[in-house]
Amino acid sequence: MRERKDLPFAATLLERRDLSEDTALFRIAPEPSALKPLSAFVPGQFVQLSVPGGGEVPISPADLPAGDGSLELCVRRVGHVTELLHRARAGAPLGIRGPFGTGFPLQEMEFRPVLLLAGGLGIAPLRSLLMHLLRNRARYGEITLMYGARQPKLMLFREELASLAAKGGMRLYLTVDFAPEGPAGGYSCAVGLLPDLLKGYRFDAENSYAAVCGPPPLYRCLTADLERAGVGAERILLSLERRMRCGIGRCCHCALGQKLCCLDGPVFRASELRQIPEAL
Amino acid sequence: MERIFLHNQQLHEFLETLRLFGELHAPTLNDSGVMAFSPLRQNSDLRLDYSRTQIPPKKFLIPFREEILHYKEGRYRLGHPRPSEIVLFGVHPCDLDGIAYLDLVFLGEAPDPAYADRRARLTLVGISCEPDDFCFCSGGRSADRCDLFLVACGDGFLLSAHSGKGEAIAAAAAELLVEPPCAIAPPAASGCRVTAQDPQLRFSDNPLWDKFAGTCVSCGACSVCCPTCYCFDVREYPDLSGGGKRVREWDNCLFVTHGEVAGGNFRQTRLERLRYRFLHKYCGFTPLQGMTSCVGCGRCKSVCPVDIDLRELFEGDGMPAGGAQ
Repeated sequence: MRERKDLPFAATLLERRDLSEDTALFRIAPEPSALKPLSAFVPGQFVQLSVPGGGEVPISPADLPAGDGSLELCVRRVGHVTELLHRARAGAPLGIRGPFGTGFPLQEMEFRPVLLLAGGLGIAPLRSLLMHLLRNRARYGEITLMYGARQPKLMLFREELASLAAKGGMRLYLTVDFAPEGPAGGYSCAVGLLPDLLKGYRFDAENSYAAVCGPPPLYRCLTADLERAGVGAERILLSLERRMRCGIGRCCHCALGQKLCCLDGPVFRASELRQIPEAL
Repeated sequence: MERIFLHNQQLHEFLETLRLFGELHAPTLNDSGVMAFSPLRQNSDLRLDYSRTQIPPKKFLIPFREEILHYKEGRYRLGHPRPSEIVLFGVHPCDLDGIAYLDLVFLGEAPDPAYADRRARLTLVGISCEPDDFCFCSGGRSADRCDLFLVACGDGFLLSAHSGKGEAIAAAAAELLVEPPCAIAPPAASGCRVTAQDPQLRFSDNPLWDKFAGTCVSCGACSVCCPTCYCFDVREYPDLSGGGKRVREWDNCLFVTHGEVAGGNFRQTRLERLRYRFLHKYCGFTPLQGMTSCVGCGRCKSVCPVDIDLRELFEGDGMPAGGAQ
C-alpha cells in the first residue's frame, strides 16, 4: 500500500501539562493504524498536527513515541491553531500526519561528544534528541545541554532536566537573560545569553557534534561561535523553523534557497546553509 | 501513406468527435475580452489564432481554491469531488511543458490524490503555434507531452497520437482524416529559450535585481499566470454542524506573507522575494533541483504592470563575468 501522507490519522488528546503561562506539553494518542508510521520517528523530524476547525501546524515531538504509541508535543500558544489546541480538553479529537523531514543523524553521532544548545521553545525538539541519547547512553560520548530562557519562569522542563543531570548521564548548564525573581528556584543557573555560556566552555570541539534549536538570531551567533571553537560546520546541526503547510514538499512555504525545510530539513548542517542568505 | 491529415473544413466535425471523450474546453475570448481556456459552447467560439491565455491550463489540475479534506466527528477524509472527464483542445507546446512539470511535482513519489484524479481525467490535445514577441520557448520538443498533437500544415493539421487516449481519438476521427498533402515541417520556435541556470552565477550580485526590486509592486500577476507556479496555502473552515473542510488555494511568493513564521519573516523585502521566485523558477527546488520550470510562454512579461522583463537577466546586460551564455 502507498504510504499515507496527505490524510491525517485520527488522534485523541490524552492530557496536558502546563510548562509555562503560554506553553504546555500535550500527550496525544494516535489511532492504531498510525502507530507504525509514527514509530519511524527520528528526533528532529516533525509531525503535522491537526486541530479540527483550526487547521494544521508542524510540531517537532518532544520525545520519541512512548510504549503505548502516544506522543508528547510541546506547543506554545502563538497562533490560531495552537490557541485552539490550548483550549482543547482531554478526549478532544485531533489529527496527525508524519513523521516528515530529516532528523538528526543519530548513527553518525555515535561515540561522539554531543553538545545540545537550546534557546526558549527550542528545547522541545532537542528534548527528543536528548532522550534518545540518554536511553542509549553507552553509544554516545559526553552529553552536554546548554539551555537558555528569557527568565526563570519561562524555563521549560526545569525539574526534569535537573533530575536527569543529577543521575550523571549529562552535564546541564542553564542560563536566563534576566532574573527578576531572584536566583532561579535554587537551581544552578547563570544570568546571561547562551553564547556567553558557550564562551567559557572547554570541550573536545574537534570531535563534537552540536545540535542547536532556538529563535532565528541565536543560530547566527552560535554557529559562528561553534566554528570558532573548532566544531566543523558539517557537525553543527541546526533545527530550523518554517511555516510548513503541507509537510511533503509541495506547497513551497518552507523553502530556503533551493532547499525545502520539510524534506531536506528541518535539521540542517551549518555547512549546507552557508550559501543561502535567507536561511538563518 | 498514413491517413493523418485533417482538413480545416473538417475541424468542426473533429471537435464533435472530441466531445465524445469529455467536456470540451478550448481557447476562447470570454465576455471580459480575456483569452481563456473555457468550455466550448459553440465550435465557432474557438480561437485557434490565440497567442496565450491569461490563466494557463494549470487551473484544470490545481483549481484556484479546492477542498482537499473534510472532517466530521473529528475524523478527516479526503474531500475533493470526483472530477469530470475534460478534453482540453488547442494547448500550445509551452503549456504542455508546464503540465509535464506539474506532473513531476504532484505525481512524484507521493502522488497528490486530488491532482492525480484530475490529471487522469484530463485529455490534452496540443497544437503547434507561432511565437510572438513575448515568447521565449524552444518549441517543438513538447509534441509528445499530450495525448494528441496537431501541427498546422497547409490548409489543415497533421495529427499524431502520443497515448492510448490519443489513439482512441484518432481512431474515432478516422473518417475525417486523409493522407497528408504536405511534408511535415519542423514546429516553429522562438529561438531564445532560457535554460536551467547556475544559481551562483546568475543569482548572486547582478545589479538588475535591484532595478527589478525598485519597480516591482508585488502584485503577484507573474506568479498567478505562470503555468508552473503551484505553491499553495492551506486553510480550514469549520461549519456549524461541528464538521468542516480544509481547502488549499493558490498562494504567491511575491506576497509579503509567504515567508512568515511565528514571530518573523524570512523574505521581508521585495528584492528577496523576487530573487526567491526566480531562483525557484530557473534553478529548481529539491527534488527538482537543477531543472528550470520556465517554459517560455511569455505570460509573466505580458501581464507585468511595470514591464519587468526577466529576459534582460539572461541577455548578458549587467551580468557578472562568465554569466552570459
